[in-house]
Amino acid sequence: MKINPNTVYSIAKKEFTDNVRNRWIIVLTIIFVILTIAASVLGGKGTLGGLDETVTTLLSISSVFIPLIAIMLGYATISGEAETGSLSVVLSYPVRRMEVLLGKFFGLGMVIVASTVMGFGAGGMIVVTTTGTSQIGSYLAFIGLTILLGILYLSLSICFSAICKKRVSSLGMGITMFFWSMIYGTIIIGIYLSTGGNWADLMSGVIPGWMWRSIFLSPSDMYQQSVMLAFNIKKAFGFEITSPGYINLGNLILVQLLWTITPLIIAYYFFEKRDI
Amino acid sequence: MSSASSLVIETRNLSKKFKDVHAVENLSMKVRKGEIFGFLGPNGAGKTTTIKMIMALTHPSAGDVLVNGKRVSNDSVRIRKEIGYLPERVAFYDNLTPLQTLHFFCELKGADKSVAEPLIKDVGLKDAINRKVGTFSKGMIQLLGIAQAMIGKPSIYILDEPTIGLDARWVKVVRDKIKMLNEQGATILFSSHVLSEVQNLCDRVAIINRGRLIAEDTITNLSQYLNIMPRLEIYILDLGGKVPEGILSIEGVTGAEAKGGMLSVTCVSDARAKVLKAIEKKGMIIRDFRTIEPSLEEAFVKLISKED
Repeated sequence: MKINPNTVYSIAKKEFTDNVRNRWIIVLTIIFVILTIAASVLGGKGTLGGLDETVTTLLSISSVFIPLIAIMLGYATISGEAETGSLSVVLSYPVRRMEVLLGKFFGLGMVIVASTVMGFGAGGMIVVTTTGTSQIGSYLAFIGLTILLGILYLSLSICFSAICKKRVSSLGMGITMFFWSMIYGTIIIGIYLSTGGNWADLMSGVIPGWMWRSIFLSPSDMYQQSVMLAFNIKKAFGFEITSPGYINLGNLILVQLLWTITPLIIAYYFFEKRDI
Repeated sequence: MSSASSLVIETRNLSKKFKDVHAVENLSMKVRKGEIFGFLGPNGAGKTTTIKMIMALTHPSAGDVLVNGKRVSNDSVRIRKEIGYLPERVAFYDNLTPLQTLHFFCELKGADKSVAEPLIKDVGLKDAINRKVGTFSKGMIQLLGIAQAMIGKPSIYILDEPTIGLDARWVKVVRDKIKMLNEQGATILFSSHVLSEVQNLCDRVAIINRGRLIAEDTITNLSQYLNIMPRLEIYILDLGGKVPEGILSIEGVTGAEAKGGMLSVTCVSDARAKVLKAIEKKGMIIRDFRTIEPSLEEAFVKLISKED
């Protein structure tokens, strides 16, 4: 299949320009920025311990806001536009559906990059003033990993949008995915405790293998673990732990990339078959 | 040149089934180069589904669509370079201005961006050129849709209910635009369920009902086929609802009806003068008369009721 990069670029440009002015996205980004500034100001005590806490707080904030922004950007991009009729116009032009899909992915992705950089940029400047630039590499990794999280959720929400007939349905799937990721950790611990595990073991760092492996089924947990590793914070599920060898930054990023690419492939398949 | 190569749009046994319903069934239709082709049918007849299959928006269940002799299923991207399309429900992007919107579509078509502003002015949206499309009325969005279809001066226009949502003055503007584009060489296929629009505009029409093509011809031929002939309506003093004696036996008269003071005579044009003379010879007083030409409305209603 011959993809015309100019077409992809035009569509990406339009998606960016259009969505960067979306009221919901602007509001979410502003709240995100305010919270990151607050977290940085309150967390920074000038010590490495201080940075740990700041990072953990920032992590909680970004774990909520970035997936939310990604879902808001992607959920209606195919189903919603098909319903309103704007997709019919675009597809009546000499463009391939693959070009449209890629253009949307890159254009909406750029909005996520913009929101993330704004939030972390603001917070980052404050963190740097309180803790110095010694950890700046990790901080940049934090930004990169957050962008990856956003792109991952974007890919998922675009996939839902391609599969669902109606915008309402794809919004529903997106929100369900979001809540699932929020309660995943709780569910895993629940399974552990109800199958004979106990808190004491958990707190002393004895975590069964299956529990570690379950992390690969949760993008949000992979993200949080990746950030912890980037800052060398040896905690998991809130406890002091040493993680097994295979839970390293490389593998976590690889699996997250898989989580990003696979939904896009599925999205293409459904989009191509779709009757608009 | 063979007749096949002058076919701009051709559907061959085109069908679309949604679950159990045949939205379009075995539709074979031909649109010739340079004509204005009306695609008519009641709401829900399958017009939009057919048009969407021509535009490769919807995948046919069976059959083929050819544009300029090439199969749409093989080469739809390149084919769409030649087409300007207006969907039935058109929408754009709330956060962009019409200028930004048309610039985007110019890029997609490979047309120079400089055509955007003149097109916006052409459809009467000059005053709104820097307003966000989210503030537009339905009519304004429809006009933007028409402007969008004209980008790149395509040789084929496919317009699904182009005058929907427009007031009478804009309906006329659109009709005139269709005529003008056709005079400049474009082939135009448009669908409508408002028959009066189609009259005096279309060279040929296709009529679809319940997914099936029930007629494809010129309006004149259709009317003849259906025996819808010109009528003479004569207003006679003291007619009393009775057809005068002898009228029916005049050569060229095929029927006559009387309602109150009006006598309606179906006849060929040559016989009209004879009918009027015959009435006067009887001593009846003709107050007024007029000729009613066969209308598409009548042909349409007759065809649809034949189906049902």
